[in-house]
Amino acid sequence: MTEPRIILVRYDEIGLKGKNRRYFENCLRDNIRKKLSGVKIDGLRMPRGRIMIETDQSVVGECVERLRLVPGIASLSVGVFVSHDFDAIAEVGIGWIVPRLRDAGTLKFCVRTHRAFKLFPQTSPEINFEVGSRIMRRLSTEGLVVNIKKAEFVLEVEVRQEGAVVFNNRIPGLRGLPVGSSGEVLTLLSGGIDSPAAAHRLICRGCRSHFIFFDNRPFLGRGGFDKVLRIAKVLNKLQTMGRLYVVPFSDMQVAIRDRCRASHRIVLYRRMMYRIAHVVARKNNYLGLVTGESLGQVASQTLENLAAVSCVVSISVFRPLIGTDKLEIINQAKKIGTYEISIEPQPDCCSVFMPPNPVTRGKIPELEFDEEKFPWQTLMEDALQKMEVIKLDVQEA
Amino acid sequence: MIYLDNAATTPMDPQVIEVVKESMERDFANSGAVYKIGLDAKRRVEKASDEIAEALRLPSYYRIIFTSGGSESNNLFIKGTCFPDKKTACLGLEHPSVTSTLDYFKEFGNPPLILRNFQEAGRLNPTAVPALQENRIRLLCLSHVNNELGSVNGSQQFQAILKEGSSQTRLFLDGVQAVGKLKLDRSFWETVSGYSISGHKINGPKGIGLLAYDSRLPLAPQIHGGKQQFGVRSGTLPVPLILGLAESVKRAAINTEETQAHLKKLFRHLITGLHDLSDRVPHLQVRINSSSSQDINLQSPAIVNFSFPPVEGEVLLHHLEEKEIYVGLGSACSSHSKESSKILTGIGLTEEEARCSLRISFSRQNSLKEIDTFLEEFARAYQSLYPTFSKQTEIK
Repeated sequence: MTEPRIILVRYDEIGLKGKNRRYFENCLRDNIRKKLSGVKIDGLRMPRGRIMIETDQSVVGECVERLRLVPGIASLSVGVFVSHDFDAIAEVGIGWIVPRLRDAGTLKFCVRTHRAFKLFPQTSPEINFEVGSRIMRRLSTEGLVVNIKKAEFVLEVEVRQEGAVVFNNRIPGLRGLPVGSSGEVLTLLSGGIDSPAAAHRLICRGCRSHFIFFDNRPFLGRGGFDKVLRIAKVLNKLQTMGRLYVVPFSDMQVAIRDRCRASHRIVLYRRMMYRIAHVVARKNNYLGLVTGESLGQVASQTLENLAAVSCVVSISVFRPLIGTDKLEIINQAKKIGTYEISIEPQPDCCSVFMPPNPVTRGKIPELEFDEEKFPWQTLMEDALQKMEVIKLDVQEA
Repeated sequence: MIYLDNAATTPMDPQVIEVVKESMERDFANSGAVYKIGLDAKRRVEKASDEIAEALRLPSYYRIIFTSGGSESNNLFIKGTCFPDKKTACLGLEHPSVTSTLDYFKEFGNPPLILRNFQEAGRLNPTAVPALQENRIRLLCLSHVNNELGSVNGSQQFQAILKEGSSQTRLFLDGVQAVGKLKLDRSFWETVSGYSISGHKINGPKGIGLLAYDSRLPLAPQIHGGKQQFGVRSGTLPVPLILGLAESVKRAAINTEETQAHLKKLFRHLITGLHDLSDRVPHLQVRINSSSSQDINLQSPAIVNFSFPPVEGEVLLHHLEEKEIYVGLGSACSSHSKESSKILTGIGLTEEEARCSLRISFSRQNSLKEIDTFLEEFARAYQSLYPTFSKQTEIK
């Protein structure tokens, strides 16, 4: 037996856009379509300010689970579609209230109406009254009371031209902007806690993020790579179509380790990572690099050192975590589900490459002087040649 | 592929796989059930238990309890006999399933006596016996074969001294690295009160092990339930795994002498090879952390632990991995922390020597040719890594 359901998708931020609104709405609609591919959908409409998805009770849970991971959606509600008839609306409400009333014995409730169809003859308070009084007539003797301020059950009615959507739930979405509406970026992913959180912020601002990982196998095992791959897959669920670039980096690290001043090592590694990421971004038209740097968190993240690495590339470098503290970042990572993967013990940097006293205020001329001591151009070309590209949507066998 | 990490785990013997598979298809009934197929399963478990007792030459008053493996066996015996207030002791170089269990007693005001001062190359010196007597130690826990070094503890000579000098102290041995490598005979069991064995260390299945113990001792259960296995360890018996374990114990025990002879050959070949490399490869100074002794009462021939500063063991391990040669870290990091174990520093190595070490552990499947390949690749990796690690002094 089919039980038709309507999923009401709200997107407050896009709604505020002016002339570009249609562009963002279409972007969101396409992302939703992609996300719901494989699930049976009976229709998808875009009345002003909403996306309405017609589906069936049997698959509605699956749809909601998927839609919760679509950036740009502010909230979702699952409801049923009925005619403008108050009796029909009240009937739906009664059907939902009765089982709760039976369990609890008493229930405070109210009706809230949103009148999207402005030509509807009754006002919102009038509709609330009409529907509420019909329900009360039936259930007041069974313990149902009206309480607008402290309602335990809110029956919501959205009146539209073609009928009314009745629902009693609001499921929060990721908010932000639809992926793809802002373009593509490349996130430097290390396997730590910060970089996934940084990527997440850009994804929620409408970017599709690709990822680049600098792999120091065989100095360390495959564990670091496995971890990054899992993190990238978690993030890619929010956006689809992401890629992971895996760059062999140990030859570069050995060269820097062996030939340059120990205290400069970390900044020199990072300058090379930025350069390589820049080449990858330029080749693929990605419009910026994203990193998880937060000011002053470690020696390489001082203002001087950030400047010393940024200056080697002529592309925007986004550091969405720059003004956050570690605790905020940890909380965010927990929310997006990458924290547990990030904290798995896995040496992310071999101690042999780490200097005892890294420089906190690297001077660019001195760094450039050190870079003359190893053939970084050749090593970089070599690393790019051996780079592996992984399409994150493809399921592993 | 060359697999030289047999102290971590071993590949399953095809014949053991066959036994397990057959039993999985046949013995699905609950061995506690009273109908025919249940009783058949029960009979097979009893037969397996008898066969294990026979293979290990266990005395009749010994009882076998099947567990999930070595860690559970160690926990069961230590907690079951001593928790919470009986005095315990260990060398401090045992597997964490022994040392952490003993540490747990600290929370109840009963810290174990650590005999680190009496260790000699990973073995407990008999001069410790008076201390056991003085501290009224009821249970001394040792690794029969140390998992990182291969050093042997609890020899019959030691047992005799213990019996003489501290008669109230019972001896518990973690035997997971010993079965199949050291010969166990009837007299061995005279002063041993408990002994753990794990299936997967002897080409058997994972998830099964056993505790063999002197049944005259009261042993408090650690898992309560349906009172299976004399009420000591409740839980439905995994019949196929038990039959697999029995098959692997039998094979290990029957072939012990042959295995020993083969392992000794591999052991000598590797140690000689490492010394040769030290002479031949510039800068390479191998330090053998295991005892080079050929005496089976001192050193298991299955494990060779050695250091080669300044190159880090973990980095070398991954370079060998590239060549499909799998070895163990000399000082194993546990899967939950980056901190390395205390065994190597516990026998007097420096932090650097402990970090720059590997553990090679053989099984009877390994060949001399594999050792040669390992030596060659080890030397190659060492030479390529040496320049990177030697520049510990800063370039100013």
